[in-house]
Amino acid sequence: MTTLVAAERELAAPQAPPAGRRKGSGMNRKPRFAIAVTVAFFVLLYLPIFAVVLFSFNTKKSLTVFEGWSLRWYQAFFNDAELTESLQTSLVVAAAAMVGSVVIGVLLAFGLVRARSRLGGAANVIMLIPLITPEIVTGVASLMLFKGVGLQPSLTTLMLAQTTFSISYVTVILRARVAELNPEVEQAAMDLGATRFQALRLVTLPVMWPAIMSAAILIFTIVFDDFVLAFFTSGVDPQPLSVRIYSAIRFGIQPSINAVGTLMLVGSLVLIAIALLIPRLFGRRGNSFDLFGG
Amino acid sequence: MRTPDVSRRRFLLGSAGVAALLAVPSCAYMTPKAQQAATKPVEPKIDGDLVYFNWADYVDPSVFEGFQNEYGVKVVQSNFDSMESMQAKLAAGNQYDIIFPSAQWVQKLVAANQLHTIDPSTLKNAPLIFDHYAYFADPWYDAKSGHSIPFSMYKTGIAWRKDKLGETLTGGWSDLWNETSKGRTFVLDDRDEVLGMLSLLLGYELNTAGDRELGNIVDRFRSLRPYLRGFSSDDYNNLLSGDAWMHQTWSGDMAALLWQAEDASIYGFEAPSQGTPINSDTYAIPINARHPGTALLFIDYMLRPENVEKNINYIGYPMPVHGTEGVYQELVADYPECTVTVADLARDLYFSNDSIAKTQARDAAYTEMKVGL
Amino acid sequence: MTHPESLPPRPARKERLWTWMLVPGTAWMSVFFVSALLLLIALSFGTTDALGNPRFGGTLDNVIGVFTPTYLRVIIRSLMYAVAASVICLVIAYPVAYAIARHGGRYKNALVALLVVPFFANYLVRMYGWQTLLSDESMLMTWLRHLGVSANFHILDTGAAVIGGLVYGYVVFMILPIYASLERMDGALIEAGRDLYGSSLRTFFTVTVPASRAGAYAGLALVFLPAMGDFISSQLLGGPDNLMVGNLIQEKFFAGQNWPLGAALTMALMVLLLICMFAYLRQTARDAKEARR
Repeated sequence: MTTLVAAERELAAPQAPPAGRRKGSGMNRKPRFAIAVTVAFFVLLYLPIFAVVLFSFNTKKSLTVFEGWSLRWYQAFFNDAELTESLQTSLVVAAAAMVGSVVIGVLLAFGLVRARSRLGGAANVIMLIPLITPEIVTGVASLMLFKGVGLQPSLTTLMLAQTTFSISYVTVILRARVAELNPEVEQAAMDLGATRFQALRLVTLPVMWPAIMSAAILIFTIVFDDFVLAFFTSGVDPQPLSVRIYSAIRFGIQPSINAVGTLMLVGSLVLIAIALLIPRLFGRRGNSFDLFGG
Repeated sequence: MRTPDVSRRRFLLGSAGVAALLAVPSCAYMTPKAQQAATKPVEPKIDGDLVYFNWADYVDPSVFEGFQNEYGVKVVQSNFDSMESMQAKLAAGNQYDIIFPSAQWVQKLVAANQLHTIDPSTLKNAPLIFDHYAYFADPWYDAKSGHSIPFSMYKTGIAWRKDKLGETLTGGWSDLWNETSKGRTFVLDDRDEVLGMLSLLLGYELNTAGDRELGNIVDRFRSLRPYLRGFSSDDYNNLLSGDAWMHQTWSGDMAALLWQAEDASIYGFEAPSQGTPINSDTYAIPINARHPGTALLFIDYMLRPENVEKNINYIGYPMPVHGTEGVYQELVADYPECTVTVADLARDLYFSNDSIAKTQARDAAYTEMKVGL
Repeated sequence: MTHPESLPPRPARKERLWTWMLVPGTAWMSVFFVSALLLLIALSFGTTDALGNPRFGGTLDNVIGVFTPTYLRVIIRSLMYAVAASVICLVIAYPVAYAIARHGGRYKNALVALLVVPFFANYLVRMYGWQTLLSDESMLMTWLRHLGVSANFHILDTGAAVIGGLVYGYVVFMILPIYASLERMDGALIEAGRDLYGSSLRTFFTVTVPASRAGAYAGLALVFLPAMGDFISSQLLGGPDNLMVGNLIQEKFFAGQNWPLGAALTMALMVLLLICMFAYLRQTARDAKEARR
């Protein structure tokens, strides 16, 4: 604490050297250690992905020896009606959760930033708890709830559970954006004759749109890949893809998994690319990576 | 020789873990269909196309073709990937003509009046089973085999690396306590199998749930822990990858090992003398089947020895049909103890549907074993 | 600037609009999440009937059952693994975030993207990838044996593998908040620090770390909490001695058919996490107070 204060005082001192780039020592010296760690980290990060992608093209079933290039596991995947049904299930659930959580999340974000009532505090807490709750707890709790009211785990219960968990993410992401908005622009619109709703629709929403789209795509990807929550709240027929992958890993139908994993990776990449391009397409100023920077 | 996804069948055992939450509670939610239990047995006659519901890749495609050509009907296929999944679809009202439940599930379905009555005397080839495998004439899961016909069988034994541990072991479950394989031994990640193995070793009833017995089982397992590398149901892959030199294994997976290993002769399989748990799949006709007659004819067709042999070679499991044993034996010539004999069946080592109290007692013991204090 | 007269007084109507916007979200979360948690707590005191259905009750058996050595051992082990994973994540995250934030230059955003992309490949598949990479006959292990490592050495089925798996799965959640903090940091502070202390290392610990501690705390929460409840890493990469509480909970709900006990275990996990969170919240509140000084 005090060191920080000392540093800040030094900064404010009149004899501070002129601001500007200083060559040589100081800011521009590359920290070799940090960079080495970073490189090693990225290598390790991508190693299993590399292995998965590589072996998805393996001719043999072996996962330790790479024999040759083949698309047979991809063929097997596309010929497997069950797997494609599972893929469909995952996509449908992700889409439903995306729509539901974004709609509710946008409302919640505005409410949290602008409401002056006590409900805001309670809403904030309720919204934050899922973020710090391990997924196994949410999964178990959701399962108890559905069974308690007599609902068998099914596509519906899965969608409900995923939407619930996603609302927190969306709200946290959008809240920052809403806080950045200038309410005076809306005021101006209303001064010019727009109703509250017109102002929101014609002024605020277009500005929010890139953030909303980014959040939506992020949620879609998260829900699509999610395993633990799906595991506890999905029915057996058809199971979402991540749960099937889990069964396969535990009980040994591997090679198609690599193909599935690669496809999911590519699919997610495409979605993320879209998410990043949208702000640029809409000409929004600022860093599209604000999404990650928070 | 094909390399099928033999491991599909593991979903049966695996999904017990993945989705078993439906297993017993579903009995409470399962609303028995309003139909009466059929008192009349199904008559073998063509009454439409066959709606077939089974594990994926479980019947040689040429057998389907033969049936279609001979009887002039189509076979419409659907697949399930777990018993729970099959049950869910049935409970939802889907109509299938023929299904393939495991023994435990036949018992549940019969208890809920969900299966047609089958009179084995209407099947020309039924004597091939019932005259030679008396066990199935009146099995524990289906009185007088009135609702099901046996399809395939498998047992749990020990597989090991001959090149590391020797050509033969002592032939008992205590082989798992092998010094050379210390740190490379696996047991199945399955409560019934692990408790069952120890029950057999200690001379208890296979499904025991008594306090004293369970206590002794937990103690004995403690002595195995230092040898254990892990609990895993991915048996043949652990063996193939070299992580396992010794593995509690399902016999059906030995065929997969055979078909995928670079050199299958380095592996061995033994059926321990104290007993090996058995399980079997069956043919059954759901009560709401639209074309039960065709289904019955299909069963008879499948039981023809030439078709049985084709299926054995396709999925690598033995079937209790007289005259076809040789085919399976040839298939697993490297692992002769995989065969399920009449003597094996006579020992009646099946995992049963337990009461809740028993299940919880067994589960508590298994948890203690897994945590390993 | 606007003149005070031209600003319309804020009508009470507008206030209520925002409050109304809170309703759908709060209602949804209350119904689907809060009530679920309450149900979980309630069921911890329940029993199982003859058919395997959980029933509400008033018994303390399950809660007491959690405090037996069997379960406590696993809970404490989970705690240790989660702490180890969090610390390792912290140690990795700082250099990586620092390198990208302060020396990434043009490629900063691309690097962050590269960081996040693997996270969108299915978690299970990535873990499975590690299982393959670390299996005894894999290229890695064969190579290690060539280097003279004992034939009995194995990485899979050890506590280290499980902790490694946890780190791998959650490290991104540590890097991103710290990166965000470091990125926003005023570079001049670091320069000033270097002027004061001379050494980069000291500057790092006395200036950079404290300035980014908000990010570090967020990262710790985002790693430690989910890691405590994780069961995949232990199941795929661990051996019989590496069981975590998540594995036990999973078993109770499925093969074990003992939902009340599973609920009690889950509740114990939540309580433990709340205690840790409480300590974290107190610390951040203290820091916030100091910062305002």
